[in-house]
Amino acid sequence: MLCYHAAVTTRALNEIETKALLAAAGVAVTPTELARTAAAAAALAERLACPVALKIVSADIVHKSDAGGVRLGLASPADVAVAFDEMMHAVRARQPAAHLDGASVQPMAPPGGVEVIVGVSVDAQFGHVIMCGLGGVLVEVLQDVAFRLIPLQLRDAREMLTELHGFPLLRGVRGRPGVNLRALEELLLRVSKLAAQRPDIQELDLNPVLAYPDRVLAVDARALIEVQR
Amino acid sequence: MSFSHAQFERAFHPRVIAVVGDKQMNGFLWLRALQHFSGKLYSVQIDPNEIAAIEAMGVTNVHSLLDIPEAVDYVVVAVPRNVTPRVLADCVRKQVGAVTLFTAGFSETGDPEGVRLETEIAALARDANLLVIGPNCMGIANLRLGMCNFPNQLVGEAAAGCVGFIGQSGTHTITFCLRGPVEGVGISKAVSCGNAVVADVSDYLEYLRDDPDTTVIAAYIEGVRNGRRFFDVLRHTTPIKPVILWKGGVSEAGQRAIFSHTAALATPVAVWRGMVRQAGAIAVESQDELLDVARTLLAGKVATGSRAGLIAMTGGPSVVMTDAFTQAGMDVPPLTDASYDKLGEFFQVVGGSLRNPLDAGSTIGMGFRSDNLERLLQIVLADCSIDVIAMDLGAALSIDRYLEYPTLATALADILAAFAQYTTKPFAVIVDAPHRPADAARLRADLLRRGVLTFVSPQRAARALRQCIEYWGTRRSAEEEEPSS
Repeated sequence: MLCYHAAVTTRALNEIETKALLAAAGVAVTPTELARTAAAAAALAERLACPVALKIVSADIVHKSDAGGVRLGLASPADVAVAFDEMMHAVRARQPAAHLDGASVQPMAPPGGVEVIVGVSVDAQFGHVIMCGLGGVLVEVLQDVAFRLIPLQLRDAREMLTELHGFPLLRGVRGRPGVNLRALEELLLRVSKLAAQRPDIQELDLNPVLAYPDRVLAVDARALIEVQR
Repeated sequence: MSFSHAQFERAFHPRVIAVVGDKQMNGFLWLRALQHFSGKLYSVQIDPNEIAAIEAMGVTNVHSLLDIPEAVDYVVVAVPRNVTPRVLADCVRKQVGAVTLFTAGFSETGDPEGVRLETEIAALARDANLLVIGPNCMGIANLRLGMCNFPNQLVGEAAAGCVGFIGQSGTHTITFCLRGPVEGVGISKAVSCGNAVVADVSDYLEYLRDDPDTTVIAAYIEGVRNGRRFFDVLRHTTPIKPVILWKGGVSEAGQRAIFSHTAALATPVAVWRGMVRQAGAIAVESQDELLDVARTLLAGKVATGSRAGLIAMTGGPSVVMTDAFTQAGMDVPPLTDASYDKLGEFFQVVGGSLRNPLDAGSTIGMGFRSDNLERLLQIVLADCSIDVIAMDLGAALSIDRYLEYPTLATALADILAAFAQYTTKPFAVIVDAPHRPADAARLRADLLRRGVLTFVSPQRAARALRQCIEYWGTRRSAEEEEPSS
């Protein structure tokens, strides 16, 4: 039973704002910038180096893929310009009432990472809690996730990973190399510290975080913060 | 609201108890529950019909708490809900130590009058710093003192022990008090705290943490009032004594049931489990498991790893026992070569097997060849690749012989009891005879009394041992991380 004071409401942070918050907390994110026009998107693609991903930026759209707002692996600035216009049309057609800020441009993350999700939420009894799990099908179908209260100790971060049923995927299985567990633990600790310093965070989702043998990278993120009216 | 340790001490060790409003309709539940109380018991009742029956029970009745000619340490209030504020006011005036509100019908009903009355009671208690337990609960049991919260519980030294219990359910608290002492879990103190409006689960936990009579704490919890405080108290308790937490309402429908029971807020079970592990406590899923884990902890043998040495009498049980331990997350490795050399001197491989599990019925005469049984146990104990020892007595096949040859049965019990004393590794004995449950239960109880850790099934033994190994492991690594604390 969350009781919001009348003068308090929440505001969604978009991908770019959330990534800025995470980067400032020491979490590795893909460099992501906002383009308001097709030409600006092409210029950003040139600068950030192709292939890039293009994603719709709008406070009114929660499920970007469902709205036609995600295009991945765009190979050249010219492709990016075309994709930008197509995306704006597609999203407007599906959600005409949504206010569109533009689209984010970011380099494609290298292939081969293990998809992990990390989230922060507020529990009615325990306050800020942090969650992590394996991404994709594993989280949606098997609900293979671990929770802890914030703040985390190193031991907690370690146990959150080892208690996942899918932990062998992170440790490495059948000749497939394991991911950098130390880096993943560090990411959990940094997100925990960020939330502990920001009681206004109501929700924070890093989905997915890609975990590689040498590092981890947050590829998409969103947040919900409490604001005084 | 916080109460002093002294206030809880007075409530849990009363010299004078008063019961307000007990009546025939309730079968004089409270006066019967307290009939063996070692201190002084008063009844407060104004109905002449009730008074006659109360006095016939040999209990002194008065018309008001204020008429009791001595200080009252603990009061049980069983009056209708609308009368409770008035009785509480008398408790304040009388300066009683603590009050249990057996009366129900407050916030758990969701009706405005119940909610209003609960608020009124809470304010009254807060203003007077009065320790109020409940409402909607069965209050305190200190069986050593004959202070029961239900009739026919064991009392005195037969029931006393080192496990403290906190229950957000009267029934679970009562059954814990009924079962514990006959299943090897003696009780230091128990409290059913109901809606926990004034004193919360965290307050009782803090008290039991600081209570020298309590070495293991167990609780049935549906929800806590201040989650952060509970987590902090829990985290600071587990390095001192183990805490076993049985959570009710782990399903969605169960969470709805919680609200109408104790009005507690629901927390997703995944969050609860994570919190329990983070705090270093032990999560269990049933009262059976709670008792199994408590009994294992009380046995006092700490395992340093999860490698089990298994002994069974016959083939099928040795296979199933191995599955049970493996599925609980334990290893069942081969013994060392030195052990096999020693076993080779007397182990009968015909009709047996000396890997691990040791299928040993023919070697140890189904338990009746004392010399070989002793040798076998010593070898497994000395084996450096084994951390815990479990033995299935095969009682289903032997229970008739135990009864027919009591001296042989006594000799077996002697060896098991002596080994249970001597061993440095946890030693679990499984005793089950499903066709003769009462005889098997008696055998388990006899062995328990002699200090042998017994279980009903290999599955329950394996799970309890595994839970304790995890607790000890977490506690050890936490101590290594922070050597100062």
